[in-house]
Amino acid sequence: MGASPVSGHKGSEQTGRNGCMTLPLVASLHPTLLPAMLSTQLTHLSPVDLIILVLYFAMVIFIGFYVKGSTNTSEEFFLAGREMTAWIAGLSFVSANLGSLELMGWAGSAYQYGILAAHWYWVGAIPAMLFLGIVMMPFYYISKTHSVPGYLQLRFGEGARGLAAISFGAMTILMSGVNMYAMAVVMQTVLGWNMTVSIWVGAATVAIYVMLGGLRSAIINEVLQFILIWAGAALIPILGLIEAGGWTQLKANIATNLQSVQYTHMWSTLGHFKDNPMGINWIGIVFGLGAVISFGYWTTDFLVVQRVLSAHNLRAAKMAPVIGAAFKMAVPLIVILPGLICLGLMQNGHPLFHLVPADVAKGDPSLHSYDQVLPLMLIRYCGPGLLGLGITALVAGFMSGMAGNVSAFSTVWTYDIYGAYINKKGSDKHYVAMGRWSTVIGMVVSIGAAYILQHFASIMDYVQALFSFFIAPLFGTVILGMLWKRATSAGGFLGLLAGTVSSIGMFVYTHTGGPQALARIALSTDAQPQAENMFRALWSWLICVGVTVVVSLMTKPKPESELDGLVYGATVIPHDGATTLFQKPIFWAGVVSVGFIILQIIFW
Amino acid sequence: MAEGTGRGEALSIWFFVGIMTLAYGVVLLPYGAYEWFGNHEAPTVLNNLHPTFWWGLLLFVFGLFYTLRFRPRPGDKNKA
Repeated sequence: MGASPVSGHKGSEQTGRNGCMTLPLVASLHPTLLPAMLSTQLTHLSPVDLIILVLYFAMVIFIGFYVKGSTNTSEEFFLAGREMTAWIAGLSFVSANLGSLELMGWAGSAYQYGILAAHWYWVGAIPAMLFLGIVMMPFYYISKTHSVPGYLQLRFGEGARGLAAISFGAMTILMSGVNMYAMAVVMQTVLGWNMTVSIWVGAATVAIYVMLGGLRSAIINEVLQFILIWAGAALIPILGLIEAGGWTQLKANIATNLQSVQYTHMWSTLGHFKDNPMGINWIGIVFGLGAVISFGYWTTDFLVVQRVLSAHNLRAAKMAPVIGAAFKMAVPLIVILPGLICLGLMQNGHPLFHLVPADVAKGDPSLHSYDQVLPLMLIRYCGPGLLGLGITALVAGFMSGMAGNVSAFSTVWTYDIYGAYINKKGSDKHYVAMGRWSTVIGMVVSIGAAYILQHFASIMDYVQALFSFFIAPLFGTVILGMLWKRATSAGGFLGLLAGTVSSIGMFVYTHTGGPQALARIALSTDAQPQAENMFRALWSWLICVGVTVVVSLMTKPKPESELDGLVYGATVIPHDGATTLFQKPIFWAGVVSVGFIILQIIFW
Repeated sequence: MAEGTGRGEALSIWFFVGIMTLAYGVVLLPYGAYEWFGNHEAPTVLNNLHPTFWWGLLLFVFGLFYTLRFRPRPGDKNKA
């Protein structure tokens, strides 16, 4: 018998989640969960489930071979020929961030923190996605850059590009390995499958279809994955709400189970750190998450921006993030709601589930950890066939996570590292070949990373943290570069460096300095690790912006003629071709904004 | 129109979406009917609502629509 949800929640923030929420929607299974998961097997697949899984693998391999003929040039291989419609680019954009790590991690977070976890899908995503589409996309698109480091090179020179490309390349390979390892662990936990087989089958499949079809193949599979995830997961909230007796009854059950109403309010509990289960306040959520981390991730992480760069014209490039934002708003239905349902289900007047932090569940097969919410709910409601569909959705999500990372790595490696520093004069054909080879080599390195993780699972914590070191400062550099003509190359490079180094410094400080250090960074003795992530991002962004501004004012700026197509005020932005109101991206961004505000009010 | 798969290709992304969901509908719908009408329901919560059958039907209809709507036609090369 596990600890009650109430006691589990009390102790969880300190022990279970520090590394899991470093980035918006880049949650992961907690490393201490992994050994614990190995000791149990939740269910098994029937023949009808296997048919569904095999159909998926056959489809993705076929797609790889099918599109190979259309990926002969570097633009076709790395940017899908820049011929995707707004719908395809938009679905791919949102799907690239809808991997299984995120689904399982955030469903667990909803159980742990309640509806506050939805902030990572709404204020932690929607404004940034709309900003990318309406404000930033014109500059990315008309500069004809092939990558975010490529934009930095055009705007700030080689130093900023090199720093961003090398850090991004290393992180994507590691994240691909994290996805691979997590998939193997989940398959072993849920189905009892051998980890080595899962790693190699998953890696080989992804390597084949990305190597053959490049970004085009990855995008097609991301669109399929998006449909699959809804097909496989949407039944859980539907049946869960029926079982719980509807939303109002579910809220009442949660309040009874936890003896608190904090778990079903998004804003009214954010007045002070100690008033909500996450140990954070509204400043951290609005400025740390909403204004810095979210904008950093959604507007400068090349993994997601690359999808939008594949759009076939400027209007499609502006519409794609708006479409992605509309779908993003719905994702809490299949991620957050299952966690809340798990929290609110009752039996004989008592909580039905007693999930515990991962380190508590470790070694005790009778206990289940927060991150197992989705598999548990899947097994609860889905018999043969539907279970296969749900498992296939999870597998597709993991493989999509690998493919997204490795395709972005391949692009940055080929253009911004190999093509920039090793071989500047290769032919287009040579760079396509390099893209294919770097895909395969990237997957092999990812496999190595997965095996290292198998022995040193705690590294996952640091991989997540490593990403966070770069994201917030990078946003400071890019946004100043786009909006401020006076920003100079030296300012951009030194600002990025200072922001990154300060973020690492604060991370080390809070992890070695005890509660006092955390209180200093997050401005409260009641702050918990989640708040540290938000405030560290905020400070590192401010440091980056401050250093960039000061150094820029002390150094000579580029002539305005060299900033055409790169900076607001120095660029004539071409008309996007919209002729009616309904064709205008800004109109649809307004519609999405209204929906976003209504959701905040409903769940206030 | 074949969207997203490259110039010169005939099959659109949406056709793949249709084929995949249709295939899943074809698998789930009869299996759900077998469970429902043959009294072989899996011991899951709310199995009295026959979710496999209804979800299979939904996927079948969705997949059929997309498959037919975006099926390759003569002269329909990619203009995405």
